[in-house]
Amino acid sequence: MTSNAREKILFYILITVVLILFMTPIYLIVVSSLKPSALMFSRPPTFIFTPTLQHYYDLFTMRPFHLQILNSLIVALGSTAFSLVVGSLAAYAISRIKSRWINDVSFWILSMRMFPPIAVVVPYYIIFKSIGLLDTPLALIIVYSTFNIPLTVWLMKGFFDEVPEALEEAAQVDGHGVIATFWYVTLPLTAPGLAVAAVFCFIFSWNEFLFALMLTGSKAQTVTIAVMSFWSSDAVQWGRIMAGSFVVLIPGVIFVLTCQRWLVKGLTMGSVKG
Amino acid sequence: MKHTVSRDRRIALVFLLPAVVILFVTTIYPMLYALWLSFRSYDLSKPFIPRVFVGVANYVEVLSSPAFLHALLTTFKLMAMTLSVQVVLGVGIALLVTQKLPGMAVVRTLLLIPMMISPVIVGLVWLFLYFPELGYLNYFLSLVGIGPVAWITSTGWALTAIAIADIWQWTPFFMMGTAAALQSLSPEPYEAARIDGNSRFDVFRYITLPQLKPVIISLLFLRAIDAFKIYDIIFVLTKGGPADATEVISLYIYRQSFTFWRMGVGAAASFVSLIIITVFITFFFRSLQRSQAALAR
Repeated sequence: MTSNAREKILFYILITVVLILFMTPIYLIVVSSLKPSALMFSRPPTFIFTPTLQHYYDLFTMRPFHLQILNSLIVALGSTAFSLVVGSLAAYAISRIKSRWINDVSFWILSMRMFPPIAVVVPYYIIFKSIGLLDTPLALIIVYSTFNIPLTVWLMKGFFDEVPEALEEAAQVDGHGVIATFWYVTLPLTAPGLAVAAVFCFIFSWNEFLFALMLTGSKAQTVTIAVMSFWSSDAVQWGRIMAGSFVVLIPGVIFVLTCQRWLVKGLTMGSVKG
Repeated sequence: MKHTVSRDRRIALVFLLPAVVILFVTTIYPMLYALWLSFRSYDLSKPFIPRVFVGVANYVEVLSSPAFLHALLTTFKLMAMTLSVQVVLGVGIALLVTQKLPGMAVVRTLLLIPMMISPVIVGLVWLFLYFPELGYLNYFLSLVGIGPVAWITSTGWALTAIAIADIWQWTPFFMMGTAAALQSLSPEPYEAARIDGNSRFDVFRYITLPQLKPVIISLLFLRAIDAFKIYDIIFVLTKGGPADATEVISLYIYRQSFTFWRMGVGAAASFVSLIIITVFITFFFRSLQRSQAALAR
């Protein structure tokens, strides 16, 4: 028994070390966003202090952070809605069509996600510039859909595969067409899948940095670029950076805490069973 | 069967066509444009100078440039550093958090958070930790008598500093995948091994690890693709510097295109790296299939 108890203690010590290592940066973001600037780098670090909302206040008064949040929301929601419609339709086709060529199509759609984004940034920049879409939310909605559509296809195909085809055939015998069957029978059964795909699309769009950096200027700037820009001003305002960072990480954290069981499937593109 | 074909065709037209058309316009077209560009001399800062056809000159320049080869090498070096540590740490932590003890479900959930944080934010919080003179990392290291380390300002440490930030963000990915696989293993071989009196290490080495291998390989595969694309964290922490110590492929392409405005060279470099990643992925897929075939035998 004693060796067992000792083992348990060792085990909990290891877990504590792991937790400290992985949670410290997140703790730092939260705490530093509430810390008065004078104490930001105090030695030893100040653990007990009167928290201040000054940095959050600055975010919205000295910077147009609310407009940047709005931009991010427009882009993320727009791309999510668009990808969900287009992606789930394609996923349904891939799930139901039995011909061989469909495998090539589905591989082609998936391979879109493997493409290094930096390689297409230049053409996007030139194309959007020439059609006047540079620095608009629409440009980012289009670009983000190129990786959100494949993700939706991949996730939704799994959900459509699980809907028994007998159910659809019954509806078709009753005289419903392919589209009506999809809309009234299949889609409601895969509602949880749609929710998961939506959340993934939203978070990836919300967190994205590279395309937002290259394709937006001051008008369509998103939150990630805004937070990064606090850094480049001559007097680095760490409190403001951390307050902005906290706002940016909220959706991701909520997602982890509420639908963590879908993370495995979404992030490994189905190659690991959750 | 004859009704299936016409039904397939109808489904394809209505359901599949929008996605195919949209993806074609939004990805294939820019790629073709980039290909066209890679054979031309094009300075974006001088838009009225015609885009002269230069043949394969851009490709020759990229392939013979030490900076590109250095960037390629740095990319693979960083990939090796991060993936090796992430696998070992991730599997180790997965073994811990899948123990049937109170509190483990909460720990597992908390450890997933880093993955869902925007890489820019990850870069910024590590910048805060590494910051010269002020950062807390050197302060805590000095308490145990180490340092000070010039994390992001020395050519010797900068790549390690970036690797650490990436390891922090993506070790949970291996933890998550391995933990999921561990929880779906069948308990029988373990009971047999226990009866035979094998040591815990032997059980892991001969029973658990072989079963985890396919999962670990697919996780590695997915991470390797992303590691090749790494950009954000480096952009925030070092912008490729100091000197060119952390200039990976993405940063090289970025610099050619948006610092020197040499779009043609940037596009050529994109295609060279695209070919490299395609070869790399194909090779990886083959070895993955072979190892799974070996497992099935």
